[in-house]
Order: sequence, then structure tokens, then C-alpha cells
Amino acid sequence: MKKINIGYVLVASMVLMFSMKSNAQISKAEIRATGLTCSMCSNAINKQLKSLPEVVNVETDLNTNTFTITLKEGNELSPKVFKEKVEKAGFFIGSLVVTAKPETIAKNSYILVNDRPNNVTEIQFQVVDKGYVTEKEYKKLSKSYKNVETYASNNEDDFHIKILN
Amino acid sequence: MRKIILFFVTISCQNVFSQELFVITDPASNVPANSLGVNVMQSLFKEEMKSGYNYHFMPEVSYGLNKNIMFRASAFVSNRNSQLVTEGGSFYTKYRFYSTDDLNSHFRLAAYGRYSFNNADIHQEQIEILGHNSGFETGLIATKLIKKVAISSSISFEKALDNKPSYPFPDNIGDNATNYTLSFGKLMYPKKYTNYKQTNINLMVEFVGQTINENGKSYLDVMPAVQFIFNSQARLDFAYRQELVSSMVRSAPNGFYFNLYYTFFDLKKQK
Repeated sequence: MKKINIGYVLVASMVLMFSMKSNAQISKAEIRATGLTCSMCSNAINKQLKSLPEVVNVETDLNTNTFTITLKEGNELSPKVFKEKVEKAGFFIGSLVVTAKPETIAKNSYILVNDRPNNVTEIQFQVVDKGYVTEKEYKKLSKSYKNVETYASNNEDDFHIKILN
Repeated sequence: MRKIILFFVTISCQNVFSQELFVITDPASNVPANSLGVNVMQSLFKEEMKSGYNYHFMPEVSYGLNKNIMFRASAFVSNRNSQLVTEGGSFYTKYRFYSTDDLNSHFRLAAYGRYSFNNADIHQEQIEILGHNSGFETGLIATKLIKKVAISSSISFEKALDNKPSYPFPDNIGDNATNYTLSFGKLMYPKKYTNYKQTNINLMVEFVGQTINENGKSYLDVMPAVQFIFNSQARLDFAYRQELVSSMVRSAPNGFYFNLYYTFFDLKKQK
């Protein structure tokens, strides 16, 4: 009887995990990169982003250095991946806006800095941590979020997000 | 003052900010991580002390280890004995230790070191470890990019060693020097981007100077350049180097550079 119970729990938790995976995902990311004005620089970022197997497509606006990334269903990417890729190309993120299923932000790695909307099928949020906004903006935000205890600690694995819709 | 020289072969820069991709000075920015830059530089300088031209061929590969560290290896080939001979090589590493970026601008600082070996004869007071002397160099670079203009400056210490096996460094000339550079680059075309295939055109002016620490002998050169970038991946430079002032013996200060550069982005994926 005990064995069956364990088996049941295992199956149940696996089902739960998989269902969470498919629900908790980023479908689109929009990155504005800083520190560049030329197309060769931009191409370095473009190639870095495209090297991710989860990426379906990257569209670039070369005049604003904005990269719109479409991602495969069921991916488990976190915002950190984008930061690493842009920095590998030699640049930084000036803003990162993510479109995702509402379940995504239920993960405990996300910390909301404003209210979440009700009854939406998709949410859009901006990551406001250090390294995901320009340095000037980070200084400003540090003041406005000084009552958010975790914000100043700059933990790399949690993301402070501002819901946009 | 027979024979020729290997000098004035230089670095071409290997990085991805086109306005900063100076022909003979290197910016504080690096090759992208995981990417390989292949560069073939050729130069043709007029001999001052005899007739003819001194031709140099310098292939280079640069690799970005991570976002802050890059490596480069170079080989030096010249026609000093009327046929092409490989005379030496060089290893270079650069560490970007400071970076502050904003939309369309950045400021960066980097430190670098280079070690070169060469077996050519020594026949001038100028110290040039890129294709002329054995020796080492270490320095600092600061680069500022504001919209379409890049300004970069560097200062370095360079020391010449014996050109083994046959040519020890002469005792009567200074064997170490201070180098300084100041470079400007501007993106001229396109005014507005539409895609990665567009050809970019950059104009550049670089000033390169050296002072021998022991005796104060110096030179200062200016180098205008035009650069084309194709498909956001390949690069072609033409440059002319002209001596402005000099108080030292140099065998071929004035001449042309022609440079071809290609970036293989993100090697891991291509495997």
C-alpha cells in the first residue's frame, strides 16, 4: 500500500510539474540594448540571442536597438538568460519587457512591485532589477522601491517586475 | 641602412563597434564572447633610406573568452629579403574592467598586454613590437561612444628585447618607450538603418605617438581611414599613415594600410 501511495504521489507531482511548465512560460521578450549605435554591434546581440534553442525568431529595429524575441512554447527561460546573452555580445540591457502567461509570475522567483491585473490571459511586465534597466533608471528606481526589502539586495535569481497591462 | 623593415604593421582592431574599429589602435571594447575575429592586414610603406616599398602581411585571430576578456594571436610576414618571410609573432590579451552604458552611448576602460618575438635586424630607433622588435607592451585604453561618434585614447609602456637569435638590441639607443594614441571614428552612412545587409561607412582619424623614455626622442603620426562594413559581419579598411613630426630614426614612416576582417559569431552554435 505504501508503495502505491509513493507511486501515486510521484505521478501526481510529475503531472503537476509538467502542467506548471506548460503554463509558466515566457512567450515574447522585447529587449532594448544599450551602449551601441552600429549594425555590426547589433548583429553581435542578434547572433547571441539566436543561439538559444528556445528562440523562434528575433526581429531587430536597428535604429532603436530593440530586439523582439519570439520563444517556443513550453520553454522555461528566465529573464537572466537574456541579460547574459546581451552582455556576452559586449553590451547591456536598457529595458526588458516580457509577455507571458499569468501563471508565470506565480513562481516565487518573481516579486511584484505593483498590483497584478485580474482575468487576463496574458500579462506583460518589465523587469526592473539592476542590469535590466539603464544605470540612471536604476538609481531612480532604487529610491522609489526603497520599501521593497528585496530590491536593494540585487539577488540575481529573483526578478522584481512591474506589470504593464 | 639597408634592408628593410618590418614596422608599422599594426593592430587592427577587432571589435564590434564599428566606429571604434580603428585601423591601428584598439578600443576598450572586446570581441563578443565565443566569437572569432579573423583579420588580414597588409601594409605598404615607402622606404626613406633606399628606393622601393616595404610590404607587410599580418594575419591575426581574436577570440572572446567571455564578455570581458579577449585573446589575439598574430603572425608577421614581410618582404625584407625580397621574398616573403615569416619573421615573428605576437600574443595579446585585453581585459575590460570598467563599463558604463546608456542608450546609444558607453564609456569603457580596459587594460592590455602584448608579447612579441621577431628575428629581423634592428635598424631604427622607433620601437615597434608589432612586426619589428621582440618585446612586450602593457597599457590602458579608454573609449567613449556617443551616438555616432567614438573617441578612444590609450597610453602604454613598451620595451624592446633582443631580436633572437642574431640581432641583440643595440646599447646606444633607448630600449623602452611611452606610447600614446588618440582616435576618432564617425558613422557616416547609413543615416537611418533598415536592415543588417546595409553597408556601413565609417570615417576615422587616428593619432599615434611615441617617446623613447631614455632620451626623449619622439614621433607623432596621423592616420586618416575609411572603413566599409558589409552584412554587419565583414570589414574592409583603407588607411594612410603620415608622419607629422619626428626626432628619431625611422626607416619607413609613411604608407598605406589595407585591412580585411571577418567575424565568426557565436562559435558554439556553429559546431
